[in-house]
Parts: sequence; structure tokens; C-alpha cells
Amino acid sequence: MVEANLQQQINAQLFDKLGLAYICVDSSMAVVDVSDNLSRYGYDNIFIGAQIEDGIDFMFGLDAQTQIDLPMIESPSGVIVSVSLLPSENSLTVLILDATTQAKQRQLLQQKANENELLVERQDKLLDQLEFASQQLEHKNEQLEEASRLQTSFLSGVSHEFRTPLTSIIGYTNIIEQSLQSSTDSLAQFTESSANHLRAVQRSSRHLLSLVENLLDHGKLDSNAIILRPKANDLAELFEDVKLLLKPLSNAKHIELDYKLDITDSTIVVIDDSRLRQCLINLLGNAIKFTDYGSVCLSAELQDDFLLVKIDDTGPGISPEDLEKIRLPFWQAADTGKAGTGLGLTITDRIIELMGGSLEVLSVLGLGTQIYFQIPAPKLLEQVNSDVSKPKALFSDMAVLLAEDDHDIADLMVMMMAERGVHVTHVENGALALEALESNAFDFVLMDIHMPVMTGYEALAALQKANNMTPVAIMSASAVDADRAKAENFGCYDYLVKPVDIDDIIEIINQVAIDATAKG
Amino acid sequence: MQKKKICMVGDFSVGKTSLTQKFVNNVFSEKYLTTIGVKIDTALVDDTKLIVWDVAGRDSLSPINVSYLVGASGVVLVADVSRSGTVSGLIEIWQTVKQRIGEVPVVVALNKADLKGWKIDSQSRVFFDQQGWDVFETSAKDGNNVDTVFKKLVEIINCDLRATK
Repeated sequence: MVEANLQQQINAQLFDKLGLAYICVDSSMAVVDVSDNLSRYGYDNIFIGAQIEDGIDFMFGLDAQTQIDLPMIESPSGVIVSVSLLPSENSLTVLILDATTQAKQRQLLQQKANENELLVERQDKLLDQLEFASQQLEHKNEQLEEASRLQTSFLSGVSHEFRTPLTSIIGYTNIIEQSLQSSTDSLAQFTESSANHLRAVQRSSRHLLSLVENLLDHGKLDSNAIILRPKANDLAELFEDVKLLLKPLSNAKHIELDYKLDITDSTIVVIDDSRLRQCLINLLGNAIKFTDYGSVCLSAELQDDFLLVKIDDTGPGISPEDLEKIRLPFWQAADTGKAGTGLGLTITDRIIELMGGSLEVLSVLGLGTQIYFQIPAPKLLEQVNSDVSKPKALFSDMAVLLAEDDHDIADLMVMMMAERGVHVTHVENGALALEALESNAFDFVLMDIHMPVMTGYEALAALQKANNMTPVAIMSASAVDADRAKAENFGCYDYLVKPVDIDDIIEIINQVAIDATAKG
Repeated sequence: MQKKKICMVGDFSVGKTSLTQKFVNNVFSEKYLTTIGVKIDTALVDDTKLIVWDVAGRDSLSPINVSYLVGASGVVLVADVSRSGTVSGLIEIWQTVKQRIGEVPVVVALNKADLKGWKIDSQSRVFFDQQGWDVFETSAKDGNNVDTVFKKLVEIINCDLRATK
């Protein structure tokens, strides 16, 4: 008896040391025996005769016949235990073993492994998102490029549609006006009001042309398609040209247009003169347009290869709120009642930026506006010979071929050049031009681009292939740089944008004559 | 009072413990602490004592220990909506469960629905529909649909039980 008790005590101590507890149940799951250390795991409601599932939740749903291992269950006392169910003939022994150490080690490893896996998943997801964003961006870029191409193409098309009839309108109204001034018979036939009407047609036509040019420039600036063409220019002469152009406008409004130039005559700088001219005309034109009393004054000076320009006006001024918006495309002050596209300052600002300069606008409502801009204008060390830029007429005996499908424009050009003493042969397309060049010698060819049967480009390519060196100037309604570059690739002598100024043609013909003379 | 054992199963870190703790103790923690083995909790749903086995999640190295599922009357399949693999993974997990304890009642908890920008793939949607399971978008964080999931499962279990009787 004593020995049995002793053995029982030894067993209990051993079980406790091992962290092992047990419960024995009969086939009806009633408790028949339990170890003394069961309370260590918080199973306090286990007593002989009780149903095991009433005191131990994990036993619910299990039966006495199933052998099963349930590792790492969190017991009511918080200790992690591993449970084994060992069935025998009419009973079941439930062994409960402390698994704290094993669980802690497992917890550390599993936590790290899972966190790492989550990190990898997150990284993969971010990479996927990055790739998706990149694809989206690429798609957007393609869409933008397409939109830009369509816009340029639209503008080019619109420009072409506008320029062709405008060329005709401006040319013919010029001729009629000149004939009115020179012929007394005509004066008798046309009343003064008819002459005014003609001038109105001209004004409207020129306004339309300026709208088209502004729209086209805006489109080109948006697609970065404007290429600057800097060359040697006489600055004082350029400013004087602009003044001559705008003087009639200021005279008509009875306001002063003053110049304060601190630039010596014959100062030659390298600059894109046509773009500078465009900026000056836009800024001075705006100043004159909005100034009803007083003056518009332009000051300019050269400082360290920079051209500094200031335009002061005594106009109505601009409110601080409007000053923030004036560079936005198509923006116009609501209450001025002045016509315009709202693109002039936008284009000027962006062209000046493209030239590497900056533009600043200061204005006080009721007092006027000051616009400053500065652009790089490096001085040319070697002075150009001013005589060379104004050649004498050398073309009197030159044979010129004109390829143009629009009869109105062709007749106008033939007539205008005949007035200057140039003999012109007219053909209607590129193929006829090639035929004419094969059968007759011409000193110079003026060629339209868009013609039926054979385009100007195709004719240029054929001439290049045939090694025909006759200088060809292209006349195109497109002011897009890509079209100019295409024509230049085919070896064209010059590229003229319609409506073509007759003086420009005469100047080119002169240059061709000079080149021919130089070659001997 | 009747008792029912249910098991929370799904991949690791989908929020099985969070859903259980929100339901049983109305608590939520943002901190992730992986479950080792199983945690057993109890809760009352009407006149049913629910014994909830929050089973350690499946990971790439260890499958679900199906011994824990023995005796379960139903399962809550849990996935994380922001990790699409845990949603599609429920199909495979269900096969494992079914193999061990047969076709028990199921509800699906698409957890972490409070997160933005998630989408359930159509294949999983179709599978859930084919099984006729009730699918809930849940959030242990804000408590959305948490009670509903457990109550619905108890309802289905009791309904199945009545039908069997």
C-alpha cells in the first residue's frame, strides 16, 4: 500500500516535471481518471463522472474511437499544449503535453517566414502596378502624340484652305486698288465707297491670315514643332521695319509710337529675325490696340549679347487678377471689346522662352502696362556687306517656269512678275513641269506642292534623280517645319509659304542670278 | 443549449484571428501576429454555443492541419481581398477541407474589404456561385459584416440539421 502510494507520488512528480497531464474517459466519454496537474492548463472543471466535452472545448465533436494528434492548442491558462487522443477497447486516454518551448520557436520562425512572404507579395504587386502605370503612360503618350499629329495635320489643312483663296483675294484687291489710284477713268467708274469696300476686304483678309498664322504657331508650339532659324541680321533695320509696319495703326488711332533705340546702326546680331519680328508685332500691336490715348514707346538696347526690349503704353492697364491669366491660350479680357484670338501674347511668351529668353509684364490699372523681354542676341564679329543683301535686278533675261494648279494664283503671279519684267512660263502640274524642263532651258522654277497628276515633291525627286540642277523654289500653303524639311531634303533652292510676297520671289530670282554669275 | 464547432480556414495573414477576436471579444489590432496551431474561443449565437477553432493559416511551406477540422459542423473560408491569390486559393483549401470532413456548410468572408482598389477574379466568383455559398465582404477593422458571417453560418448549420432530421 505504502509502496503503491509512493509510486503514485513519484509518477505525479515525474508527470508534472515533464508537463504531461492525462484524462481517461470511458466509451460514453465520461471521465474515469485524471492526473493531478490538469489545473496547470486551466482545465478546472474536470472531475470523475463528468462528460469531458463539458470541461474541455477541444473535445467537443470528437469520439472515443478516433486516434488523433492535435498539436499546439492554446489552453485556457494560456499555455500551449499538444494533445494526443489514444483510444483503447472501452476507453480513451487524452494526453496533454506542455509545448510552450516548441511553440515559441515555431512562432519566431513562422512569423519571420510569413512577414517575408508578405513583403515579397507586396513587392511583386508594386512591380505589377509600376509596369501597369508604365504601360498606361506609354499608351497616354501615344495618344498625345496622335492628338498632336492630328492637331498639326488639322491646322495644316485649315491653313491650306485659308491661304489659297486669301492669296488670290489679297493679290487682286491690291491690283485693283493700284489701278484705281493710277487711272482717272477707273476712278470715274468706281466711287470712293467702292474703294473703301475693297480696303475692308483687304483688312479682313489680312486679319484672317493673321488668325491662321496664330493658330498654326500655337499648334506648332504645343507639339514643339517650331524650329528657330537664327541668322545674321541688322537689328536697327529690323526695328525700323516693324515701326514702318505699325505706324499706320498708331496714326489711325492718333497715338504716338516712339522708339528709344540704344543700338548703333549696322549692328549685326545672330537671331531668328522672323520670330523676333513676330514678337515685336504682337506686343506693339497689342499695345496700340489697347491704348486709346497717349503713346506706345519701345526701348531697346544690347547688353552682353542680350537684347533687352521694353514696351510702355498709356493704355487702360491690366488688373492683378487678369495679369495671372494673360498668358493662357485663347484668353481675352472680357470688357475691352477688342477683336483678337487671345493667342498673341501666349505665342510671344513661348517663342521668347524658346529663344532662351524671358518675358515680364507689369501693369497698373488706369496707368498703363510695361512689358520687358530679353533674349540672347550674340553680335556677329564680322560685319556683313550691306550691298550684298540688296542686289541689283539681274533677272531681266531669266527664264522662269511656274508650276501651279490654281489658275487664279498662277495668273496673278504671271501678271505681277511680268510687271517686274520677268518672263514666266506656266504649267499646271509637276509632270508638265518636267516635260517643260526637258524641252526648254529654264533658269529658275517656282513649284507648288499640292498639284494633280504629279506633286511638287514627286517632281523634285524626279529632277534630283535626273541630276537636273535647275534651282527650284517651293511654294507651299503649309508652314509646318516637317514639310519644309521634306522639300529641303529633295534639294529645293528655297521654301516660300503662301501667300507669297512678290518681292520675296524677285529677291530669290536675284539670288539665283548672282549664284549663276558667281559660278561663271 | 446546443454546441457547434466551426473552423476558420484560409491562407496566412488573411485576418482569421482578427475576425474571430472581433466577433468574440469585439477587439481589433493592426499588428500582425501569426497563429501557431489553433486558438479555440467560444461565443453565443442565439441559443447555440459556438466553439470557434481559429486554425493556423496555410503558407507556402505548411498546409492546413486537417486534424483540427474533425468534428466541425461548418467552416468559414477567409481570404484577403487585397491579395488575389488568397481568394483563388480558397478553391484548393475547400478541396482539402472536403476531403477530411465532407461537405459541411460554408460561408466565405472576403476580408479587409475596407482597403481600396481590390477586385475579385471572375473564376473565383463563378466557383463561389456554383457552390451556392454565401459570400460576405468583411472588415475586421471596422466590423463590417463580421457578426453576419458567424450568424449566417450558424443559421445554415441549423437549417441543414433540421433538413437532416
